[in-house]
Amino acid sequence: MSSPLLNSRYGSAQPAFSGNGKFLAFVSHGKDRQSLLVYDWTKREFIPTPGLNQPNTIAESPSLSYSGRYICYLTSQQDQLVIALYDRATETSQIITPGYRSWIRHPYINPDGRYIVFESASRGEWDIEVLDRGPTVELDIPNGSIVNVPN
Amino acid sequence: MYRIRNLSIVLFLCFSLLTGCFGYPRILDYPVEGGDRGLNSLSAELDPQISGHYIVFTSDRQGSQNVYLFDIIKRNLVDLPGLNSLDTLFSHPSISDNGQWIVFAAIYQGRSDIYLYNRETRQSENLTAHLASEVRNPTISANGSKIAFEYSNNGHWDVLVYDTLQKQFHKIGEQ
Repeated sequence: MSSPLLNSRYGSAQPAFSGNGKFLAFVSHGKDRQSLLVYDWTKREFIPTPGLNQPNTIAESPSLSYSGRYICYLTSQQDQLVIALYDRATETSQIITPGYRSWIRHPYINPDGRYIVFESASRGEWDIEVLDRGPTVELDIPNGSIVNVPN
Repeated sequence: MYRIRNLSIVLFLCFSLLTGCFGYPRILDYPVEGGDRGLNSLSAELDPQISGHYIVFTSDRQGSQNVYLFDIIKRNLVDLPGLNSLDTLFSHPSISDNGQWIVFAAIYQGRSDIYLYNRETRQSENLTAHLASEVRNPTISANGSKIAFEYSNNGHWDVLVYDTLQKQFHKIGEQ
């Protein structure tokens, strides 16, 4: 993929590296819209994330798991902010806070891909919540069995 | 039929998220505690980041916005000697997964800088002392090799990367 957004006039923000320091996710600002991009720091190119950026839907506050397989980010669904998880192995996104009713900000995924912390206003001021995706998720860990990540 | 399906969805959400006893994903229980040793307090907790079994965040539970480190296995705070100080505003900490390195932004006497705290030596190093730009929102990779943060660049924010091995700064696409 070429990199027309490298020298964006409108800037970029919210950077987060994958645990292995190889991939950098960030929000690139354009004239009318912003995009969540993932850059391969070693190969110096953007990596494709089909379906991650949807028209008229925000995708921001990204964080990455160890090898960059999971992209955790904040998005909107029916006028509510929710946390979504994009799996580069399947190239699909899934909302992982369905039914969570209060204001959410700043999600961040553990490098292993299991736990996600975020700010919640559920108790009237900002507190930290810890979401556990469960013991059966495919972990993204070094020297593990999870190597099926497309390049 | 539609009603039954709706009901089953509602029940599923209740069991999976609200009670926290069945199914995943679920919210773990870290209640607001009266003292200052828990993850949450009666004050605001901001900017959480998790790496390994550590969560770093900021809180103004002791009057000024400071950096805190929480161990999710031991379920208590870990001291960060020499990191916080009274005359400085701290924000957006991020920790390596071995727990040794914490990067954070700090505003001291009106100037913003990015600091790297070493938990072994208990020393903080100012990484951006020579940069004229404003800086904010640093994060460190779990393996400690890269730090990324925002800097002010001709009226907007852009991303700058610091390689902790080479000790050099890079813009995206110019490394």
